Amino acid sequence: MKEMIRLSGLRKSFGSLDVLKDISFTLEEGSVLSIIGPSGSGKSTTLRIITQLEKADDGSLEIAGHTLFSSVMGKAVYARPEEERLIGLKTGLVFQNFNLFPHFSVLRNITEAQRAVLKRPKEYAEEKAMKLLEKMGIADKARQYPYQLSGGQQQRVSIARALALDPEVLFFDEPTSALDPELTREILKVIRELAEERMTMVVVTHEMHFARAISDHAIFMDRGVIVEQGSPDELFGNPKEERTRQFIASFED
Amino acid sequence: MQGLLLQMLEGTVTSLQIFFLTLLFSLPLGFVVAKGRMASFAPIRWITDLYIQIMRGTPLILQLIFVYFAPFYVFGTSYDRFTACIVAFVINYSAYFSEIYRSGLQSIDRGQHEAAKVLGFSKAYTFFHIILPQVVKRILPALGNEVITLVKDTALAQTIGVAELFRVAQTASSREFSTVPIFIAGIFYFIMNYIVSRLFAIGEKKLEYYR
Repeated sequence: MKEMIRLSGLRKSFGSLDVLKDISFTLEEGSVLSIIGPSGSGKSTTLRIITQLEKADDGSLEIAGHTLFSSVMGKAVYARPEEERLIGLKTGLVFQNFNLFPHFSVLRNITEAQRAVLKRPKEYAEEKAMKLLEKMGIADKARQYPYQLSGGQQQRVSIARALALDPEVLFFDEPTSALDPELTREILKVIRELAEERMTMVVVTHEMHFARAISDHAIFMDRGVIVEQGSPDELFGNPKEERTRQFIASFED
Repeated sequence: MQGLLLQMLEGTVTSLQIFFLTLLFSLPLGFVVAKGRMASFAPIRWITDLYIQIMRGTPLILQLIFVYFAPFYVFGTSYDRFTACIVAFVINYSAYFSEIYRSGLQSIDRGQHEAAKVLGFSKAYTFFHIILPQVVKRILPALGNEVITLVKDTALAQTIGVAELFRVAQTASSREFSTVPIFIAGIFYFIMNYIVSRLFAIGEKKLEYYR
């Protein structure tokens, strides 16, 4: 199995606040990792560093064998900008708030980066977008604008938008937190289907049952450290750490 | 009467020259100023802020006089009134436009920049294709207000002797002992602004296709 992500010793602070203290994990191609933990535990920051929305202070990260940053004398040293960009194209991110482009039609939301970034021809990009929209069950919305869609539909468009660039690994940052339970189910179904197709994914979520069902590996984070990690059955069914137990118990009833 | 109207049309042409030249330079310059006002390097922010404060805090009529006469006192040379007039209008309106742009730029959700970054768009592409179109939609009403004010402000150019519409009207008025030319000038300004506001209304309508 090819290693998709190798993250080690990641540190990050905002001012005097240490948000990430020593985060390490690896992820194999074709597997799904879920990250759970309370708000402010550093889950999102971890994703944002891997997807280059934030810079690491220290640590090293390899994505599909390419080094984004490595630790040199206690500091994260980044690859050259062109290399950063190429690595960025290997990763996709789905946001909690979708962040669709409101002035573009659904179709153009999905074709724009294909054309402007990957220089794909228009016909190819549109064909690809339509296939993805069909897969998401919203092909009939192609000509509409994001504001005309429900939250669940918007999130499906944003997943299609990310998939259109053929990322090697896709990250989800609380993809259902802005959605009601019914719409949440729509999105979880889509992610589950991607997992069945062996898409490599990292999902930050508060949906415990879902996380347990789809992932091959699970991490519990709290206050900037990984408290516990292991198979989902171990982590959710039989957590070793008291803190993990408390957190998971808070989702029962 | 025909001679008068002809003179006033000439004055109107000068007014329109001031109007269009001011827009031509201050609309893009406003963006540069807005960027300076939002710069991460504090001294640039302070200087830009001071500049905006001065432009907004002192009368345009005073700025016109200053821009026209200052070079004479400092360098002992003078320059063409019309150029001075354009310079004064441009530096004044750039300040106002910059604040409108800033309000628009800051109202765009950070998520738009982040989504663009994650999708691999370059900074320039993100600005021109993702951010700017949304900013334009949001600031169009405020921009319309400012552009209408500009049409009326061109009348101030007469302070430094530029023969624009209002000066022509005033001269004619005192020559003929009649307020009619002034009244006609009023109609001219109104027509110009009616066109401006219709154009902005069309622009807003065109951008109504999304929210």
